[in-house]
Amino acid sequence: MANTSGKATALTVLSPIVNQIIDGKSCADITRERCYRLPIHEKSPLAKVPNTYLARLFVLDNVYYESLTASDSIFNFSEITSIFSDSARLKALPRKDQLKSKYLVFSTNFHGDLDEYLTGMWEKWSYDDNGQQRGVQHIWEHCVAFDGVKDSSSFISYMKRCQLDATLFFNGSTDDSLQEQLKSLYLKQEFSKFAAANQGKSAADLQQAFKVFIEKVQPENLDQPSWVPGQSTP
Amino acid sequence: MTQNLDLTDIQGNIVKAYGSSGFFKARYLFLRVDDGDKGRDFVGAITSKVTSANEKLKGDDALTVTTNMAFTYAGLQALELPTASLVGFPSDFVMGMSKRKDILGDDGPSDPKYWDKIWQEKVHIWISINGKTSDVVEERYQWILQQIKATGGVTLLRGHCGEDGNGNAVDDLPYQDASVLYEKDGVTPTAKEHFGYTDGIGDPVFDGQTNNAARVIGRGKLTRSGDWVPLATGEFILGHVDEAMEYPQTAPRPDLLSNNGTYMVYRKLHENVGTFNKFLDEQSKDYPGGKELLAAKFSGRWRDNGAPLVHTPDNESKAEWDKKFAAADDATQKRMLTDFTYNEDISGAKCPFSAHTRRINPRGSLEYGVKDAFHTPGALVDRRRILRRGLPYGKVKDETSDKGNHGIIFMALNADIKRQFEFVQQQWINYANDFKQGNDKEVLLGNHSSKDPGKVVLQVEPGSGKPPHFVNNIPRLVETRGGDYFFIPSIGALKLIAGGLVDPT
Ligand code: HEM
Repeated sequence: MANTSGKATALTVLSPIVNQIIDGKSCADITRERCYRLPIHEKSPLAKVPNTYLARLFVLDNVYYESLTASDSIFNFSEITSIFSDSARLKALPRKDQLKSKYLVFSTNFHGDLDEYLTGMWEKWSYDDNGQQRGVQHIWEHCVAFDGVKDSSSFISYMKRCQLDATLFFNGSTDDSLQEQLKSLYLKQEFSKFAAANQGKSAADLQQAFKVFIEKVQPENLDQPSWVPGQSTP
Repeated sequence: MTQNLDLTDIQGNIVKAYGSSGFFKARYLFLRVDDGDKGRDFVGAITSKVTSANEKLKGDDALTVTTNMAFTYAGLQALELPTASLVGFPSDFVMGMSKRKDILGDDGPSDPKYWDKIWQEKVHIWISINGKTSDVVEERYQWILQQIKATGGVTLLRGHCGEDGNGNAVDDLPYQDASVLYEKDGVTPTAKEHFGYTDGIGDPVFDGQTNNAARVIGRGKLTRSGDWVPLATGEFILGHVDEAMEYPQTAPRPDLLSNNGTYMVYRKLHENVGTFNKFLDEQSKDYPGGKELLAAKFSGRWRDNGAPLVHTPDNESKAEWDKKFAAADDATQKRMLTDFTYNEDISGAKCPFSAHTRRINPRGSLEYGVKDAFHTPGALVDRRRILRRGLPYGKVKDETSDKGNHGIIFMALNADIKRQFEFVQQQWINYANDFKQGNDKEVLLGNHSSKDPGKVVLQVEPGSGKPPHFVNNIPRLVETRGGDYFFIPSIGALKLIAGGLVDPT
C-alpha cells in the first residue's frame, strides 16, 4: 500500500501504552492528559515540526464493535417470531475483538520524506507546559519500549516499527511544501483584497498600486510576509 | 401516487399560507404556563378555535380571522407531557434558538443578550392570530385574554419592542403585531418588505398541497428530465415519508402526538434600512449597471416586480421582460416569476452566487455542470427547503436611519430544524463553500461585522473581457431581535395535550 501521494506522505503510528498504574493513574490516562494539555494553533508543537499539513494525536482504548440491530420494542408482532430471528441474528454477528493494550495513535499528513519529517519531530517538537519546556518524549514516555529511544535515529526506527500503512490523505492540500502553500494562501487573500480595493482605477493608477502591492507582499520571499504554521486568525 | 392530507387535522398556514389569502394582519402572543392542570385547560379552550388547513380562506363565507398554537420544549415540559414523549424531541428544539447562536451566526448586535426583553422570559406557548382586518384581530385577541382569565394557570408575557398607541417607542408590549406593507395611500396592500423588495414569490410545493401542475414549476424539486415535481410531504409534515424515503427522525412518540405536526422557526429580524439605503447608494456609484440592477444582484430578483435576474441580467433584458410581464395573464405572470434554475447561469454572471435567493434555494444547481454528479440535480437542495409563513412588522419613519422597529417576522416551517433551516443559515448564508465563494457571506442576511466587513463577487460572463465586480464593506443589514423554535402539533395532538392524554407506551 502506498503511504505517499505525490510529494505528500501519510504516516499513521500506533504505539502500545504500557499497562501500568503510577500513583493511582493508568499510563493510558496519563498519556491522554498530556495530549489534552498540548497547546493548539500557533503554539502547537506540530506547528514547529516542518511541513505538517494536518495531524492528530489520541489514545485508542479499544476497537469499536459493530453489531446488527436487535429488536428491543416492548411487545410487538415481531416479538412473537423473535425466538427464531434472534438466534439467526446472533449467529450472523461478527466476532468481537479486543485490543491487548491501549494505543497512542499519531496520524499525520506532511510534505516530503519520512526520515526527514521524523528528524524534524525529534528536533523541533517543543511546547510550553505550565512553564516547563517539553519535547516529543513527554507524549510517548509511557509507550512500550520507548525508554530505548535516545536520539533521532532511535526515534525514527521506533516510529517505523509502530507504523501502519495509511492511504487516506488530507485533500485540502496541494503537493507543495507547507511554506509554499502558506505563502500562496497569503498571496491569494492579499490579491483579492487588492483587486477589491482598486477596482475601477485607470491603467496607470492600477499599475502604480500593483507595484506597491508587490513590494508589500514579496511573492518570492517564502519566509515573510506569510501565514505562520498553525495560524488561526488573520 | 399523490398524497392525501388530513386537512382537518393539520393546523392552518402550513399547507396554504394565510398571507396569500388576504390575511394581511397578524398578532403573535407568547405565554408562560404557571400551572400544568390549568395550563392544559387553557390549551383546550384555545384549541376550540384553532384553525385547521381545511377552513375556507377565500371567497364568501370564508374565515376572516384565524388562531393557531405551538409550543417550545419548555412549554411541553410545563404542560407535563410524559418524559417518554419529551425524550423523543430533537436536540435543536430542546435547546431552543438562543442556545444555537453559534450555529445561526447570532453574534454582535444579533446576540441574544440584545433581543427584545420577552426572550429573557420563559416562553412556553405561541399563539398567532391572522386576520383580514385589524378589527377582527383585536376581537380575537380580546377573546384570548378572556380565556386566560377564565382558566388561569398561564401568563401572557410582555416585552416586545414596538410602539404604543401614540407612536412612542416602548419595550414592554404584550404582543408582536405584523402586517403587510401598504402603498403610500395607506390602503392598497403590497408584497414589499422594508428594503423595497417584492417578497413572497418562491415557496416550496410538497406532495398533497396542490393538484395544479403549474404551481409546481420552479417551486417543487427539479428532476433529471428538467421537470418539476412536488417535494416529499415528510420534508414539512411529520408522519409522512420524506425525500430519503424515511419518516422524519424528529418525531416524538406516540405517533398521535407527532403525526401532522411540524416545527416552526420564529425569528424577529430587524432591517437596518438607513444602512441599506446608504450602502446601496455608495456601492452603485461605481457599479456600471446602476442602482436597481445592483439591488437585484443582492437579492436575485428585481425590487419593483420580483423579476428573476437569471432572465433579466441587465437593464435591456429587464425592459423586455417587463413588457411581456405587463401583457401576460395571471398564470403566465406566475410562471415568468418562478420558472427558472441557476443551471442557466452556472458562472453566476447573471445572478451572483451570494444573492439571497440563490444561496437560500440553489434550485438544483449544485452540480456545477458536472454530468449526473448526483442521482438527481437537486439531491443537495431538496432536503434543505423551508416553507416561509412570516410577515413584515413595523413602519419605516426615516429612510436614512436604522432606528425604530421594522423588519420581518420570519417564520419557517420544516420537519427537521437542524437539517433544513439551521443548515441553510450556517452553511449557505454565512459560509460559501458549496458555492465556491470562500468565506463570502450572503449579502442581505450575512452576519457581516464592522471589524471584518463582508465582500462578495459579482461575476461576469466568462470570455466577456470585463472584470468581475467586487461589492465591498458590506455592513450588517439584518439583525436578529428574538425568536425561538416551536412545535406545531396537529389538532388531534392539541386535544391530547389539553386532556393530559399523551400516551407514549
Ligand atoms: C429581513 C430578512 C429577509 C429579507 C429582507 C428577505 C427578502 C427576500 C426576498 C426579497 C425574496 C425574493 C422573493 C421570493 O422569492 O419570495 C426572498 C426569498 C426567499 N427567502 Fe428571504 N428574506 C429575509 C430573510 C430570510 C431568511 C432568514 C430566510 C431563511 C433562512 C429566507 C429564506 C428565503 C427563501 C427560502 C426564499 C425563496 C427562494 C426561492 O425559492 O427561490 N429569507 N427573501
